[in-house]
Amino acid sequence: MTRLTTTLATGAAALALVVGQGTAARADYPERPVEMTILFGSTAQTIGQLLAELMSQHLPQRVVPVSRPGGGGAVGYQYVQSQPADGYNIVWNSNSISTTFHGGNLPFDHTAFTPIAKISEEVIAVAVRSDSGWESLTDIAEAVKASGQPLRVGASGRGSFTHLATEAVLADLGLSEAAIHVPYDEGRAPVELLAGRLDAAVQWPGQFVSHHQAGTLRIVCVSGAARIPSLPDVPTCVEAGAPNMTMTMWRGLAAPAGTPAEVVTALEAAARAAVESEAFREAAGTIGFVPAFADHAAFGELIARDDALLAELMEELGLKQQ
Amino acid sequence: MDMLLHALAASLAPETVFAVAVGSLLGVLFGAIPGLTFTVAMALVVPVTFSLPSEPAIGLLLGTYIGGMTGGSVSAILIGIPGTPSAAATVLDGYQMTRRGRASIALGTAVAASAVGGFVSLVVMMVSVDLVARLAMRFGPAETFALLLFGLSTICGLSEKSFLRGLIAGVLGLMVMTIGIDALDGVQRLTFGTVTLQQGVNLLVAMIALFAVPHVIDAFVQYYRNEKQVDAGTDVRAELPSPGELLRHGWLMLRCSLIGTGVGAIPGTGGPIAAFLAYSHARKSSRTPERFGKGAIEGVVAPESANNAVTGGAMIPLLSLGIPGDPATAILLSALLIHGLIPGPMLFIEHPDTIYGIYILIILAYVFVVAIQLLGIRFFVQLLRVPAHLLAVGIIVMCGYGAFSIRNSVFDVYSVAVLGLLAYGLIQARIPLTPIILGLVLGPALEREFRTALILSRGEADIFISSVPSALFLGLAALVVGGQILRSLRGILAARKAETPSHASADTEPRP
Repeated sequence: MTRLTTTLATGAAALALVVGQGTAARADYPERPVEMTILFGSTAQTIGQLLAELMSQHLPQRVVPVSRPGGGGAVGYQYVQSQPADGYNIVWNSNSISTTFHGGNLPFDHTAFTPIAKISEEVIAVAVRSDSGWESLTDIAEAVKASGQPLRVGASGRGSFTHLATEAVLADLGLSEAAIHVPYDEGRAPVELLAGRLDAAVQWPGQFVSHHQAGTLRIVCVSGAARIPSLPDVPTCVEAGAPNMTMTMWRGLAAPAGTPAEVVTALEAAARAAVESEAFREAAGTIGFVPAFADHAAFGELIARDDALLAELMEELGLKQQ
Repeated sequence: MDMLLHALAASLAPETVFAVAVGSLLGVLFGAIPGLTFTVAMALVVPVTFSLPSEPAIGLLLGTYIGGMTGGSVSAILIGIPGTPSAAATVLDGYQMTRRGRASIALGTAVAASAVGGFVSLVVMMVSVDLVARLAMRFGPAETFALLLFGLSTICGLSEKSFLRGLIAGVLGLMVMTIGIDALDGVQRLTFGTVTLQQGVNLLVAMIALFAVPHVIDAFVQYYRNEKQVDAGTDVRAELPSPGELLRHGWLMLRCSLIGTGVGAIPGTGGPIAAFLAYSHARKSSRTPERFGKGAIEGVVAPESANNAVTGGAMIPLLSLGIPGDPATAILLSALLIHGLIPGPMLFIEHPDTIYGIYILIILAYVFVVAIQLLGIRFFVQLLRVPAHLLAVGIIVMCGYGAFSIRNSVFDVYSVAVLGLLAYGLIQARIPLTPIILGLVLGPALEREFRTALILSRGEADIFISSVPSALFLGLAALVVGGQILRSLRGILAARKAETPSHASADTEPRP
């Protein structure tokens, strides 16, 4: 394919333009811009936009980020799934493919997509007020059991990833019955925690970092298997007293099922180059995610494994609808 | 002082000034065109900022934000369709001024009020960012609910003569906004099992439908019936309000700016809510409230100073707590993050020069926005020379495209058509649209805050009266509603005494 490209470029570029969409063009993916559907706003959107920008530098055509929010990702998934499997429509996806499906908001699951590459990982963080005196999850559990007062934990809405993580932590601490999940949207949980209306909040680390450094809030733990580079002093939840609690959210790229292998390979290579670029690594540090490239095969295995785990968790919580 | 000079040097570098100018122009254009909104403009600009240094990047986005908030008034005043949801309250009197040939006065006043709103909020931010952030933090779900309910109660006075029709309209507005996935419980509501309806009705889409579609239908109906155009011969002089005229409204501008700053600082509220609160405040405090809705200049001053003050107000929790109050500030937050600036308490300690820089960029953006708007007025008003039915074609195309551009969803285009036809039908049935708008704007926030408060208190209703701000606002709301009931009762009694035949007022509430 490379030789063909070179031949075309040197010899018959003009002819190719005139003749247009012949057989050569099909081998020459992509011959028109690739649309990357973005499912969420805020930082997920920014990372997606940056990724598209960087991938464009490694492809003959641009990757264009297009925002299709709504329904916790369901709207965008449905759009991409309904498009032809030719590689011109891809989705900036995440574990939300599993949560929306099992939550009953999407008529198809992850098998409706062909994985392209895993791009990044994000963990969630559990935070408390510094003046609470709680240093670890064990402290929280002991204090709640001693006082008999329910723990008010703020996270995003029911069925969201932060809510599932909240319930997983609580279950591990034996506090499932002794806590109230308070749903907030628009990332308001940190303020509510600062103001004292909550006892703990479970959100993305970036929302707590500045307060953690300023000493008003304390991040008790992060949910990954290992500590994260931006917060080297913060223990994992396993270290902090929840032995079974590891949850990581991945983000990656996928295309409708049946997308040709050579197209997936081309996109995978561009994605790898983007993730390994300096610009992406810098953004990761400040926005608060970890670049974690994995090829399409490994990514596919991860999606299936996580899907089973999330299904099990949602079943336990009574959130599984299908 | 050193820091300030350093920030000044960085913010007044040619490329930064240029970026702010481009952003402001883009914002004004996106704001002024009905259907295109500054949130979309900001999202489009973000990828451009990746390759810019931080100062021009932030300047570009701030310019777009501020330009868009101000530009929204242009189409609200000229064609009665808000360019952004925040300008919906401006339509009520601004468009009436245009119909009375005072379009340029209204536009000029809107620009002045916007600038005052922006500057007041900036000053509040500069002198008391900590204090305001602390006060805003006291507004939890219960307090915000009480504030919104108070707002709703005062605004109820805006509904036309018939209480019943107003109520029908308000409930319709509330119902439309419940479509989609409920943010708290994650359950589907009124989606009929479809994925498409899960996205719900976007606020801007609903507003385009309510304001633009009936307007367009009317224009065509009038044209084909060969009716004499009401707007024909509209005065298109580009006459600006005199400084004296503006000064007369200085005190109102200041009060509404403070309302806007305060509302903007409370997460989960935003521009449209602030604008309506300010509008009802202006009407309440006016000696001639009957002029409102008929082209009162105060009806333009109040919402425009308030919605622009929201820009400064929303920056307070964003910078000091790292909390974005609305979608626009959420985009700003991402842009700050990507340039290595993490908003929150540490930003003030580690990067005070950035904070000063942002203040200077905001001032710069207002200078550009005011200049662009003042220069633009003479061009904007030329729009009124276009025959209404031709303008209507342009409007419907822009609205269709604008509705699509918000979420790149064809569903939103259909929503405009369906809701628009519904709105036209409601107008024919003499059901007022203003309460629908209020239901759309306040409904989702009202419901969310109420439910969150009760989750926090485990179902105990005393959470609403146990805190001072919450009890205060609920008390005020009770007073307002009580006053209205008392007045209509007195009206009924007076009517009985005068032995007016009761069937004469069968469908309209008697007024004092």
